[in-house]
Amino acid sequence: MNIIELEGITKTYGNHKAVDDLTLRVPKGSIYGFIGPNGSGKTTTIRMIMNILYPDSGNIKLLGKESLGSTLENVGYLPEERGLYKKMKVKDLIKFHGELKMVKDLDSKADTWLRKFDLSKWADKKVEALSKGMSQKVQFIITVIDEPEIIILDEPFSGLDPVNAEIIKEVILKLRDNGSTIIFSTHDMSVAEKMCDYIFMIYQGKKVLDGTLSSIQEKFGHDTIRIQAEDGVRAVEGIPGIEKVNDFGQVMEIRMAPGTDSQDILNTIMSKTRVSKFELTAPSLNDIFIRIARPENNEDHVPSM
Amino acid sequence: MNKVWILVKREYRAAVKTKGFIISLVLLPIMMGGGLAAVLIFEDKVDLTDRTVLVIDESESVGRFLVNASKDRNANSITDSIGEKIFPAYYFDLVQKEGDFNAQKLALSDRVRNKDIHAFVHIGPDVLNPGTDRGKARIIYFAENAPMDPVKGWISGNANSFIRQERVKQLGIDQADVQNLFTWIDAEGMGLVSVDSKTGDVKDARKSSELESILVPYIMMMLIFMMIMMSAIPLLSAVMEEKSDRIAEVLLGSVTPTQFMLGKVLGGLAVSLTIAGIYILGAVFTVNKMDLGHMIPYDILPWFFVYLILAVVMFGTFMAALGSSCNDSKDAQNIQFPAMIPIIIPMFLLMPVLQNPLSNFSMWISLFPPFTPMLMLVRQATPVTIPIWQPIAGLIGVLLFTAIVVWAGGRMFRSCIIMVGKRPKFGTMMKYIIKG
Repeated sequence: MNIIELEGITKTYGNHKAVDDLTLRVPKGSIYGFIGPNGSGKTTTIRMIMNILYPDSGNIKLLGKESLGSTLENVGYLPEERGLYKKMKVKDLIKFHGELKMVKDLDSKADTWLRKFDLSKWADKKVEALSKGMSQKVQFIITVIDEPEIIILDEPFSGLDPVNAEIIKEVILKLRDNGSTIIFSTHDMSVAEKMCDYIFMIYQGKKVLDGTLSSIQEKFGHDTIRIQAEDGVRAVEGIPGIEKVNDFGQVMEIRMAPGTDSQDILNTIMSKTRVSKFELTAPSLNDIFIRIARPENNEDHVPSM
Repeated sequence: MNKVWILVKREYRAAVKTKGFIISLVLLPIMMGGGLAAVLIFEDKVDLTDRTVLVIDESESVGRFLVNASKDRNANSITDSIGEKIFPAYYFDLVQKEGDFNAQKLALSDRVRNKDIHAFVHIGPDVLNPGTDRGKARIIYFAENAPMDPVKGWISGNANSFIRQERVKQLGIDQADVQNLFTWIDAEGMGLVSVDSKTGDVKDARKSSELESILVPYIMMMLIFMMIMMSAIPLLSAVMEEKSDRIAEVLLGSVTPTQFMLGKVLGGLAVSLTIAGIYILGAVFTVNKMDLGHMIPYDILPWFFVYLILAVVMFGTFMAALGSSCNDSKDAQNIQFPAMIPIIIPMFLLMPVLQNPLSNFSMWISLFPPFTPMLMLVRQATPVTIPIWQPIAGLIGVLLFTAIVVWAGGRMFRSCIIMVGKRPKFGTMMKYIIKG
């Protein structure tokens, strides 16, 4: 069952099409990752789902109903930029937002969440006294305090240290296990790869990727060689059939030109130097992202959706 | 509606719990009565420096009288009962008019500039019996700040008193009749006679003083003005700040833009009702203690609160909608003054409306909805009786106008609150209102 359905939505600002004829279906109980370069239309799409912005055309259904967004109690939304009343005390602020979401047993729930995020001793401090990371945790608590059916998070991990990012990741997975559907946007491809059941990429307002990681990688084929060789990048220079080399220091990722045989490449390298690791693999999400969004990319690399 | 109530509670608490609220609660009456208080405080702070005034007297009598009168004043009227000096002494001396009068005046002016003397007076030759040549019947006072100088007033009073007596003497009227000749009788202001609803008797008319007929409407209007300034105007920057701090977007995850706007406006209204309530109760208590209870227009108070509520909602919504179109404080500053004009204009119209509350001008201007809360109330608070249909028509007008402002403001707010980039132009805002 799809909990969110977008049908041909378009949003234009002046002459700029921020979102262009976008259709998307988010299954219930899934984690859906939104990726895309800055200004590609992620936030606009999220705001339209939240009914904060209205699409110029197309339909949006949440929980089978049309365009209810923010009026629904069981939708939690964490905007890209954080906005909290600075003069309010932390717990009062959480309770205020909880009240707006009609949360019952608010006081104990607020305490539980504060404890979970190690913020109990800050409960009676004003928001202005919090660090950026702590403010972000408070904002996350506000978003999920009612454990809503749909949780929409715009860049939930930005600016967080690894410890806090881990806590938020765990909470997101727990919420999913409890039945919530989670959409989040991120620039961290490894997070998207590891956490998301589905990945959706928007580029210049258009959907360019949508599906599970394996189905996306399938479309690009096994055209990547991960190799560890003694001479490093010099060992692969000038070899025909290599389209691009990405040197990580210890390991290199080589993208083969279409129709190239990986065995030919391996033989050529082995004739020059010692090879300690050679793996034929699908491209990483990061690589796919860069292939699509690099300014010099050409249409051939963008799979049609 | 429940969500609006939660927002109102937050707004109210956030406003009332601040030090600023307590300070403004105390400062407001001081500001309103500030001018009056300053006058009362500084009234006794008289400059006690003695004044020397030289008199060039061509009448050959008035000048001498002034010299004697000043001696009399210095001897009897410049100290209080315990002999402490409370007014400056005036020393008047006669000087002869010289051939080159202009040169003499210049020399005396220089002496005034050098603080050698305070002033000099030229009394014309014909002041006792002004003929056709009015130029010879003038008393001219030369000083640094002649128009505001109390010595000038003292000279005028004494010289004219002397001149009048001299003229009466010339007419040969009996001294006993002179007293009556100069008794001035003022017309006293009195309210209209009415029937007591309890006893059915004709009630005595109540004496209406000028002070009362100006003070009561003035206070009523100032109170509404200050309430708008305290609770509606700040919504412009408050909404702008919540927009630029992204608080608006977070809230819009849980409430609709209309609920958000109403929460802010009604929160402001609750604050202004609290302040107005405190002041009115305080004023009623104080005025009754001072035995001036008759000055409180109890029949106007319900109107006051109705107009206050509508004015704050009307201007609050207007300000919140404009605030939603601003992205930073510079935008807000640019728009604030033009937006305040409809609130300031009634202040300038106060005097003409007070002087003639029943004129056509007063009627029409007070029926213009943005001005109605202040100007209709001013008219109602004056001692005159204005036809009852006028406040009712005014009220209906304000109700309708407020409904339109809330509707249009809500549509504009909804469109602008999430928008970033350049502030929309007037035409664009109108488009948002019309198209939603």
